[in-house]
Amino acid sequence: MPRDVVSAVIEGDPQAYENEHVHGVYEQIASHFSMTRYKPWPVIAKFLADLPDGWVGLDSGTGNGKYLPLPLDRPGAVWTIGLDRSQNLLSIARHAGDAGDGKVIREVVRDDVLGKSWRPGIFDYSISVATIHHLATAERRKSAIKRLLLHVSPEHGRILIYVWAIEQDSLSKRDIPHDAGSSQDSNSSEKGKDIFVPWVLSQSSEASKEQATFHRYYHMFAKGELSELVSMAATELGLHVGPPLATEGRKGIEIVQDGWERSNYYVEIRCWQSKS
Amino acid sequence: MVRLITHNLLACHAKGCNANNFPLQFKDVEIEIREAEFNPDFLRGFLPKIEWKALVDSARQIGDTSLPAEQPEMVDDDFLKSLHHVLLELHIEEGSMTCPNCSHVYPISNGIPNMLLAEHEIA
Repeated sequence: MPRDVVSAVIEGDPQAYENEHVHGVYEQIASHFSMTRYKPWPVIAKFLADLPDGWVGLDSGTGNGKYLPLPLDRPGAVWTIGLDRSQNLLSIARHAGDAGDGKVIREVVRDDVLGKSWRPGIFDYSISVATIHHLATAERRKSAIKRLLLHVSPEHGRILIYVWAIEQDSLSKRDIPHDAGSSQDSNSSEKGKDIFVPWVLSQSSEASKEQATFHRYYHMFAKGELSELVSMAATELGLHVGPPLATEGRKGIEIVQDGWERSNYYVEIRCWQSKS
Repeated sequence: MVRLITHNLLACHAKGCNANNFPLQFKDVEIEIREAEFNPDFLRGFLPKIEWKALVDSARQIGDTSLPAEQPEMVDDDFLKSLHHVLLELHIEEGSMTCPNCSHVYPISNGIPNMLLAEHEIA
């Protein structure tokens, strides 16, 4: 199976570009993709395990919904609603963690991660795992982070964002070309790379066994790029970035984790509001 | 699904629709009832987030009249069990949801509500 990635050049309308190079691909590879995505990342499992009873959250870009059943030792203590653009992935996510008896059904909603189909600030937490890196411009990636910030409670909301890193670990099967194109956004200091990652799908039929290769678009994040984008998004929403202030009537976010795990960058955000 | 727990959080996001865009009104719904595990701690935590009138009205729209019009001050087990049933056991499998403000229609198919907007409808 070829694992090489090639650089991507974004042309035309970014939404149309994502439709072709992200959403269209996921619709076609959904069931095969889902079979390979079953193990939760430790950082995300820990984030969900630490949530208090009664909290409700949004998994924005839920894919096959593998985080919807967590935490496994407290089923039903928190409630995560899955959102994705792919109908086929949502059909799978709907039954995530089901023992096969069809008893457990997850709440899933079809929408774009740039949508805002929720009462503002209604969620206690939100996760965005391997999703924002599919948006084709820095502006759209920042907008997606703004949506997360607006979806959660300004007083106590928690957010975990997880994206693909340029810095891959030695166990990764992927070989990143050194000449992969730097991002085309000239108004940004970012050093991320725009690439295509192939997905090889075997299509067995009676007559033949054919292979089809689909290319998914990714923006690979550089070191520091994700937390910088989070800070920009928060600042543009009038939020202070840093530890809670005692000054009356201030709202802000604190980045409580900023790390790298197995070829991915992640940040954990906590919202705070001072007494008015 | 969509269940009322999710419906109580959803709002219309069509272009220019920023007020009175909640709750979305059910139409032509097909309901399935599925038992779910009762978790009183979860319900107590979720209670403050509920828009009570929206929940009661929406439950009535789909044929369930078990909830009191006013949220009771006493949260006992009987009440939590009614709330559990309304929030988590009524699955709207087919139908649609209409915005009370701009009349945008969001279809529900195979239990999945479609909140996607066309390009020209995005604010």
